[in-house]
Amino acid sequence: MKGSAWRSPSLLAGAAITAVMVAVALLSLVWTPYRPTAMDFVHRLAPPSAVHPLGTDSFGRDVLSMIMAGAQSSLTVALIAVAVGAGLGIPLGALAAARAGLLDDLVMRGCDLAFAFPALLTAVMITALAGPGAGNAMLAIGIFNIPVFARVTRGAARGVWAREYVLAARAAGRGDAAISVVHVLPNIAAVLMVQATIQFALAIVADAGLSYVGLGVQPPQPSWGRMLNEAQTFIWRAPLLAIFPGLAIMLAVLGLNLLGDGLQDLLDPRLRRAR
Amino acid sequence: MLTVSDLSVTLPMAGVPVPVLSGVSLTLPRGGSVGLVGESGSGKSMTALAVMGLLPPGARTGGQIGFDGHDLLAAPEAALCALRGRRIGMVFQEPMTALDPLMRIGAQVAEPLRRHLGLSRAAAAARAAALLARVGLAPPRVTPDLYPHQLSGGQRQRVVIAAALACGPDLLIADEPTTALDVTVQAQVLDLLAALTAEAGMALLLITHDLAVVSETVEQVLVMYAGRVVESGSTAAVFARMAHPYTRALFAASPHAAVGDPAPIPGVMPDPRARPPGCAFAPRCARAGGECTRTVPPLLGTDAHRVACFHPHAAR
Ligand SMILES: Nc1ncnc2c1ncn2[C@@H]1O[C@H](COP(=O)(O)OP(=O)(O)O)[C@@H](O)[C@H]1O
Ligand SMILES: [Mg+2]
Repeated sequence: MKGSAWRSPSLLAGAAITAVMVAVALLSLVWTPYRPTAMDFVHRLAPPSAVHPLGTDSFGRDVLSMIMAGAQSSLTVALIAVAVGAGLGIPLGALAAARAGLLDDLVMRGCDLAFAFPALLTAVMITALAGPGAGNAMLAIGIFNIPVFARVTRGAARGVWAREYVLAARAAGRGDAAISVVHVLPNIAAVLMVQATIQFALAIVADAGLSYVGLGVQPPQPSWGRMLNEAQTFIWRAPLLAIFPGLAIMLAVLGLNLLGDGLQDLLDPRLRRAR
Repeated sequence: MLTVSDLSVTLPMAGVPVPVLSGVSLTLPRGGSVGLVGESGSGKSMTALAVMGLLPPGARTGGQIGFDGHDLLAAPEAALCALRGRRIGMVFQEPMTALDPLMRIGAQVAEPLRRHLGLSRAAAAARAAALLARVGLAPPRVTPDLYPHQLSGGQRQRVVIAAALACGPDLLIADEPTTALDVTVQAQVLDLLAALTAEAGMALLLITHDLAVVSETVEQVLVMYAGRVVESGSTAAVFARMAHPYTRALFAASPHAAVGDPAPIPGVMPDPRARPPGCAFAPRCARAGGECTRTVPPLLGTDAHRVACFHPHAAR
């Protein structure tokens, strides 16, 4: 397994980028070059220099510190949103797969309904109605992850239910719930992990979108989306102010997508061989 | 102990109910052994799955399946769950797919012990190791912490057998347990099954498409064709006479029994959606006469030997 991991450049690059992101986010909890909210009106819109490696914004805040703190809030929102989606979607999908028939139809039509709404727009609507803030942003993004995980889980789980070892498990007296937990979920864990990585990347974009329109993490806590928004006013005088948070979002998404691709390549053939 | 009477099963195919079993009856006393023989598609697995209560969704059943006073066809799912793996064990045809690829073999054998007998993790693991050793999978060559893909087909089938026998069931159903195995391993696995069931006083329902396989293993034989029993009786009586032309054809087709090369039965079994009105074997039968194509021959005779044929063979 180690050998094949080394042969996958996308897995390595994705894991490295993601690890750096996570490390930066964690580091920001204990250390940033400056307090990310500290304003310095003397040094506003400063270009990158030795004292401010990524410059300062229109309030004189240190951009590097803000990017670091933004990574922390962005990853937290995305992580919890994906956890909400997976935590509810996976059991729903597993249930639908175990109980073909009415329940299955119900869950799947519910997913169809959810997919009929444009996710980001509806998330904007939800946070606009429920009030802006990190908590509601997590919920709004999480809700749209539920049908994604439900569908993927159901599809993959149905494949496992059709296998002979499930019939053998039933012949051994195992009930549907035990089979779902003992046999089905472990055998679809790889698929779910890949999906979770992809959803994580999408959630980061969604979080950036929500905070761009002011519905995500609230000031003064910095976020990548709001940094982009605030950079708009000075886009000609200080284009780097937009470029740095943009790059951060792009890197985070790229890293997670590479990781997802790499995981898929790594886990799928191994599972196929093991079966 | 197991009494199947007049079992019928219809399955929906493209929404239309199609009869796959008709009038199947068999009696298996405690500690006894019955062989269920027939070509692929004759309804052997459906019979086994009906006993287990594991027929595909949408199946409709008729008749009775009595097991120790319970009617399994009428039993609620919870009662069946308590019976499966505890009182009735089952071994499947494909050892390559009948084990969970991500679970250690020891855990797969220990699972029913914990579920049905409430053993602790450690006690179940110890018992599983002993069971694996009993079926011939002992350290250092095979340890309970191996995964299925680290074993050969024959070894995997031994794991399946150990798991099926873990709780000491009263009845073991083995559905073509050797079909997927190398010829050299087949005899070993069959001997193991026969020894284990005899030793524990366990009843055995052995399913195979190879008539020769049952001749030394079981006390009674049922020959099935197109969802019906066409010949049944004590193994000695059935082998002495082979009254049904299908039984003879099946015997000639066996790679183990034939004196010369095995002779495949010409023609194919009719699709269950389009079975002929009379004897289902008539289109492939050299002895078929007019009435064979009009009426289904009834299964007649005594408990020692029955045959469903208008033109049966006399003794061999
Ligand atoms: N899931 C299913 N749905 C519908 N028909 C089936 C299904 N499984 C098997 N059958 C049909 O039932 C008949 C009996 O099959 P089976 O009992 O598996 O035969 P055997 O085990 O003797 O080879 C066959 O005609 C087969 O096509
Ligand atoms: Mg079969």
